[in-house]
Amino acid sequence: MTSTAQGPIAAVEARQLVKRYGVVRAVDGVSFEVARGEIFGFLGANGAGKTTTLRMLCGLLAPTSGTAFIDGIDIVEQPLLAKARLGYLDEDPFVHPHLTGREFLHFVADLYRMPRGAERQRRMERLLGLFELADRDGELIGAYSHGMKQKIGLASLLIREPPVLLLDEPTNGLDPRSARLVKDLLEELSSRGTTVLLSTHILEVAQALCRRVAIIDRGRITATGTMRELRAQAGNEQASLEDLFLKLTAGPESKELIERLLA
Amino acid sequence: MNPLSATRTILRVEVLALRHRVLKRGPVRLVLLAIFLAAAGIFILGGAFTVGATAGHFLPGAIDPVLVGGFTGLSVLMLVVGFPTVIATFFVGRDLLQLALAPVRTIEIFIARLTLAMGANLLISSILLAVVLGMGAGAGAPPAYFVVAVPLIFLQVLAITSTQTVLMSIVLRWVPARMARDVAAAVAGLTGAGLYLAWNLSLRQSFSGRSRPNVDNLTLLIQRIDWLPPAWPGHALSEIIAGHGVAATTWIGLTLLMNVALVAAASVLYKHTLLAGLGVFGSAQAIWKRNDRRASAPAVGAASGSGSPALAIARKDWLAFRRDIRRLSRLLPAVLFPIGYVFAVTRPSRSMGGFWSEVLLVAFMSMFMSTTLATPSIPSERRGFQLLRMAPLPMWQVLRAKVLLTLPPVLAMTMAFGVVVAIASSNGADRLLELSTLVIWLGCGFVAIGVSAGGIDPRFDALDDRRAVGLVGTLAGLGGSLGFGLLSVGAFALFIFGGDALAGTAQLGPVPSTPAIGALMWAAGIVLAAASLAVVVVLLWLANSRLRSFETAIANT
Repeated sequence: MTSTAQGPIAAVEARQLVKRYGVVRAVDGVSFEVARGEIFGFLGANGAGKTTTLRMLCGLLAPTSGTAFIDGIDIVEQPLLAKARLGYLDEDPFVHPHLTGREFLHFVADLYRMPRGAERQRRMERLLGLFELADRDGELIGAYSHGMKQKIGLASLLIREPPVLLLDEPTNGLDPRSARLVKDLLEELSSRGTTVLLSTHILEVAQALCRRVAIIDRGRITATGTMRELRAQAGNEQASLEDLFLKLTAGPESKELIERLLA
Repeated sequence: MNPLSATRTILRVEVLALRHRVLKRGPVRLVLLAIFLAAAGIFILGGAFTVGATAGHFLPGAIDPVLVGGFTGLSVLMLVVGFPTVIATFFVGRDLLQLALAPVRTIEIFIARLTLAMGANLLISSILLAVVLGMGAGAGAPPAYFVVAVPLIFLQVLAITSTQTVLMSIVLRWVPARMARDVAAAVAGLTGAGLYLAWNLSLRQSFSGRSRPNVDNLTLLIQRIDWLPPAWPGHALSEIIAGHGVAATTWIGLTLLMNVALVAAASVLYKHTLLAGLGVFGSAQAIWKRNDRRASAPAVGAASGSGSPALAIARKDWLAFRRDIRRLSRLLPAVLFPIGYVFAVTRPSRSMGGFWSEVLLVAFMSMFMSTTLATPSIPSERRGFQLLRMAPLPMWQVLRAKVLLTLPPVLAMTMAFGVVVAIASSNGADRLLELSTLVIWLGCGFVAIGVSAGGIDPRFDALDDRRAVGLVGTLAGLGGSLGFGLLSVGAFALFIFGGDALAGTAQLGPVPSTPAIGALMWAAGIVLAAASLAVVVVLLWLANSRLRSFETAIANT
C-alpha cells in the first residue's frame, strides 16, 4: 500500500468540503477518509447532502471550498488522473436511452480508453450474464426497467474495474435477488482491494456491509466510525444502526409525527 | 362537476410550471430578457406592420396575394417546424401518463394539449398579425377587418395544429407500431417541406410570371394556390377590404366549417390513439430490438487497440440521432428546406453578380445547417453529459469530437449544394474551386461556432433541442456566426478581387487594377481571415472554460 510519513494514503479523502448554492449550504465542511479495500457507509436523510458530496468527490461538481482526494490525487487539481481511478453510480444512473445495453458498455469502455479485444469482450459477457442482461442486451436502454438501468450502470463501472467505487443507492429498484447479488459482489470486490463508498437509505445493507459509516445531516457530518464507536458516542451499547441514525439525525419522533397527522 | 374542470386543472399546472421556469432566472436576467424581447418585438413586429402598411397603401392589387401568401406561409411554417411540438405535446411525457391513468375524459386531455400545442404557433403568428393589421391600416380597411383578423389567425393556428394531430393519429392507428416512429418522422418532415416547395414555386410563379428552367411542368400544375384551405382566411380579409360582404362571409363560413371538421376529427382520432401514441412515442421505443447481435458490436476495426473517446462519442451520437424521433423529425425539414430553396430560388447566371449571390446562398446554407446540427450537439447529451464529465476526458476533446461529428454532414450538404448551384450557373471550374474552398472554410467555422454556442450555455435538463441552449449561448452563436460569416465573405471577396487586380483584369471602379493594389487587397484579406478565425477560437475557448466550470445544468440533472 502506498504510504506517506503520516501513514497510508486513503483511497478517498474529503477534507472540509463545502458546496454553496446561493445562500444555501448544501454541504458544510464535510471531512472523512476511506481506507483502501474498505466498504464505507455514507448515510443521511433525503436532502442531507449525500449526493452533492458524492458528486464533488467524483468531480462532477466543483467544491465551493475544501478538497477531495482519490488515491491521494486531488480531484480538483488533477481531475483526469483522479477520474481514471474511480467509478461513480448515480441514484438515477446516467445512461443513454437510445443505445442498447451492449452499445452502452462499449461506449463507456471507449470513453475510458479501455483496450478493445478479447479481454473487454470477456468482461462484458461475464457482466451481462451476471446481471441477467445477456438476453436483453440488444434492447434500447430507454426500454429497460429502473432496476435494469441500475444493473447496466453498475456493469458500466465494473467493466473497467476501477480501484474506487462511489455508489449512490446501488440497490435502489433492484429485486431481492439482484440486491443480494450486488451486496455479495461488493464484498467480493472489497476483499480483492476495491474501495467502496456506499451511500444508502437501507440501513440493513449498511450495517451488513460497512465496517465504518458516516452520518450526514443538513450538510454536516454528525458521526463517523465503526458501529461500536457510534454506539459509544450515542451512549447505548445495544442500539441498532437505525436507532443510532434516528438519534443522530434528530427530528420529531415518528410517533409524534403520526399524532400530529391524525390530530 | 364542471365538464372541463380537468382541462382547467391541467392548464393551470402548466401555467404554474411556466411561471416557476421564468422566475427561476435571476432578476437581472429577467430584466435583460424583457428588454431584449421588447426590443426584438418592436423591431420585428414594427417591421412587419410597416411592410403590411406599405403594401396595403401602395399596392392595392397585391392585397389578396399578400394576404393569401401570409396565411399560407404561416401554415407551412407551422407544418414544418411544429410537428415535433405536436408529437411531444400530445403523445410524450410522464405527466401525460399520469393523465391517462387518472379518471379524466380524453376530450379534456385533448383540449388542454391542443391549447398547449397552439402556444408556440400563436407566438409565431403574431408576425402575420402585424402584417395583416398593417395592411388593413395602409389600405384604409373598415373596422370589421380588424375585428375579424385576430380570430381568423387564431382559427388558422387551430386548423394546422388539428391537422397535425389528425396526421399523427392516422399514422398511429393504421401504421404498424414497429414502423410508426419512422413513418411519423417522414410525415413530419415531408409534409411541411413538400408544401413549402409547392408554395414557394407557386408564389414566385404568381408574382414574376417568368418561365423557370426545368421546373415549368411542375409549377404549371400547382401554380395557383387560391383553392387551398390555408388561403381562405386571406381571401376573407381581402374581400372585406374590397367591400364584398357576401364573399367575405362565405370565406369566413368555409374557414369555420373547416375548423369544426378538423377539430372534431382530431378529437375522435386522438381518443382512439392516445394510449397507442404513449406506447410508441412515450418512451424510447420499447419494441425496438436488434435481430442480429453482431450488429451491436463496435465499429469496424474495433477488434484491437485502445478505445477512442472521440470515436465513441461520435458513434453514440450517430446511433442516438437515428433513433431519436424528435431530433430526426426536426432534421428532415431542416435538410429539405435549403434543398428546396436552391431549386426555387437559383437561376442560371453567367455574371459576376450571379456568382456573388451564390456565395451568399452558400454562406446562408452553411450557417443554417450548422445551427441546426451543431448547436444542440452538446446539450443533447442531457444526463449522459455526466458520463463525459466523469470520464478522464478534457472538455476540449468533447468539443473536438462534436465538431468532427457534425462537420461531415454539413460539408457534404453544403458542398453538394454549392456544386449544383455552380454547375447550374455555368460559372466555370475556377469559380467552382473558389466556391468549394469557401464552403470548407465556412463549414469548419460555422460548425465550431455552433458547437461552442451549445457549450457556452447548455440546458442539459431541457427535453427539447430547441430549448437546449440558453439565451447567452444563442446570442453568442448568432453573433459569432454573423461576425465570422461577414469577415470570411469579406476576406474571400478581397482574395478574388485582389487576384484579379494582380492579373490586371479587375474592375474596381475608380481604384486602379494594379499588382500593388492586388497585394494590398490580399493582405487585407489575410487580416480579415485571421479575424474570422479569432472569432472561432474565442468561442471555442469560452465553451471549453464554461464546460469545465459550468454547474447549474448539471445540478439540475
